Amino acid sequence: MTAQHRDAGVPDASLGLDDPPAIAGVGMTEFASADDRPLIDLLLAAAERALDDAECDASTVDSVHVGNMAAEAFNERSGLANALTGSLGLTGVTARRIENTSASGASAVQSAFEAVAGGHSTHALAVGGEKMSSADTATATEIISRITHDREYEQGVTLPSFGGLAAAAYLDAYDADRRDLARISVKNHANAAKNEYAQFRKRIDVDDVLDSPAVASPLRLYDCCPTSDGAAAVLITAEPTPNAVSVAACESATGTHAVADRTDPLEIESVRLAGEYAYESAGFGAEAIDVACIHDAFSILEWLEMEELGLAPEGDAWRLTRDGETALDGALPVNPGGGLKARGHPLGATGVSQVVELVWQLRGDLPEGRGVDGAERGLAVNVAGFGNNAVCTLLEADA
Amino acid sequence: MTQLLECRECGRRTYYEKRRCLECGGSAFDRVDAGRGELRSVTTVHVTPEGVREPNRLGLAAFPGGANVVAQLDEGLSIGDAVRLQGGHDLRVTDDGTLRGARLVAVE
Repeated sequence: MTAQHRDAGVPDASLGLDDPPAIAGVGMTEFASADDRPLIDLLLAAAERALDDAECDASTVDSVHVGNMAAEAFNERSGLANALTGSLGLTGVTARRIENTSASGASAVQSAFEAVAGGHSTHALAVGGEKMSSADTATATEIISRITHDREYEQGVTLPSFGGLAAAAYLDAYDADRRDLARISVKNHANAAKNEYAQFRKRIDVDDVLDSPAVASPLRLYDCCPTSDGAAAVLITAEPTPNAVSVAACESATGTHAVADRTDPLEIESVRLAGEYAYESAGFGAEAIDVACIHDAFSILEWLEMEELGLAPEGDAWRLTRDGETALDGALPVNPGGGLKARGHPLGATGVSQVVELVWQLRGDLPEGRGVDGAERGLAVNVAGFGNNAVCTLLEADA
Repeated sequence: MTQLLECRECGRRTYYEKRRCLECGGSAFDRVDAGRGELRSVTTVHVTPEGVREPNRLGLAAFPGGANVVAQLDEGLSIGDAVRLQGGHDLRVTDDGTLRGARLVAVE
């Protein structure tokens, strides 16, 4: 399968600006299985933390980009972007909500990035959030499974179903075993244990994963991300500020809607293309990446996406996990904040929280034992559905 | 539905209706019998939405012409087995009635 657009190559993201857009401040709420605050208060809390971090007054913000998947279904409300600007006391700014299912957060970041890169905004605030606890598990499952293709929906296919199919195919194709797969969750929980913003601050071991309830064989509960409440925000500016991190690229690509339309069940074309576009736009590739935030909604996705992004050879990502290469002190730390599995996955917040995590890592302002030593370049990939769409963001610490 | 759409231009087949061929962009399709496929992966799903059988065993099968299908799967089948699509099954009960369609079953 080939991409059927963008044959003319990726346009220059800087569009004439001398410096790439920079992230001046970041912030997020502590992700939780249930946060008592209404969704709009979560968005506001994250936004204010990002503005405080940037030492910017809200009045400098001239565009607001809100990422959220399903406030209508979870919280019976819409109009989030206007409610947020209202709470911030802003009028006269550009504001909009961006929906791209579980990649709504990164799409909001992309919207803010493009607003600044295109010269339309000097201070663009991207805020992502979701409050999923308002719905019971059955309702949440139905809301999320409704993003599938109609032919998939009628079969009762859920997102974990695709995870199970991919995991079974991967374990059949390569020498990895079920215990290797469990090591992804073990590693991500170990990282989250040190992250005060993570939903699960509890270390687990391989047997905990293997003993957890079956969800979609071979995947078990501890292979799957939770439902969560939370919000995250980043302020992207045209002029670099002290301690800012540059956005080297933010690109996205769609894949097929029906997962089975891919020729290979282990293929996630959207992730590969978003990565290719981002590397080309940034002028550096996978070999330059020091730390990565991968969309591990299911453990198996960490391997599949690493391989699509060139962070591991095809069929070899499992070896990096087993050898500890993706641990916090390994050659390529993956999901240092705990990933979706253990930091939590409040749908619209996740893509923004990945960027927040990378900024903390690249600024080097995390406590001892929480950060990746000397990281200069980071990659985040946020995925919609089981690869319907992917957004890849590359960040670079200022020299 | 036990048939596939075959691109009149390049012959690529798909189970999932769309305006353009994923391979060549062609827009004319013929309906053809799916024939015999091979199971590429299987999963047993223990947490299913309301109106869906639990557990829900699913298979991903590759059919000739590059068409892959994810569908409910009969018991006793594993990766590498030959399968076909068999129509007329009650797949899912919704507020608007029962969705009927094809399952993957063993080739006798």
